[in-house]
Amino acid sequence: MDSITTAASVVAAGLAVGLGAIGPGIGQGSAAQGAVEGIARQPEAEGKIRGTLLLSFAFMESLTIYGLVVALVLLFANPFAG
Amino acid sequence: MEASKRLKISEDLESPEINSVDLSAEYALLQLRIFRINLAITAFAVVVSVLFVDLNAAISLLLGACSGILYFRLLAKSIGSLGKSSSSVSKVQLIVPVALVLVVAKLPELHLLPALVGFLLYKPSLIIQFLFEPYS
Repeated sequence: MDSITTAASVVAAGLAVGLGAIGPGIGQGSAAQGAVEGIARQPEAEGKIRGTLLLSFAFMESLTIYGLVVALVLLFANPFAG
Repeated sequence: MEASKRLKISEDLESPEINSVDLSAEYALLQLRIFRINLAITAFAVVVSVLFVDLNAAISLLLGACSGILYFRLLAKSIGSLGKSSSSVSKVQLIVPVALVLVVAKLPELHLLPALVGFLLYKPSLIIQFLFEPYS
């Protein structure tokens, strides 16, 4: 792998993780805030709220995982390495 | 006598300990249902990949599915403790996909794509669970 490809891969890996984590991070914070407020207001609905929170977290965090996988592939199994 | 018995029953029903146990049990049941659906989908996907692709792809898929189940378990545990013992959701579960990709990249017998597909098999199980969830 030549030095330009290596440098571009490292920069792209950093961007993939960093930019990919911004949106899900904001979303997860907002969802957790809403869920905790909901549980505090309606403790009898805790099970349903936690279940819905689990679903939304699993889907939001998968966006972070996509970025993470792209970064790891670029670093450890780079398809552009000659 | 009757009034005191009613009062006792009413206190039992409103007891926060009993309610807390019930709510935890409801959440644990939800996790168990998702785990069962995930196992069924994983078994189906592994059998299909053994029959129509090859054994290495099936092993990669199985490894990915096991990682997905572990990831989901850690995520559920973290969400279960939210608001009780911790005020934020931990990110420990993100180590699982990292370890999966590293292991698959280091071992030439395993394939990356089936492992990632296997890891993401928890999503169909979540969708199925919430589509067929009984509304009560």
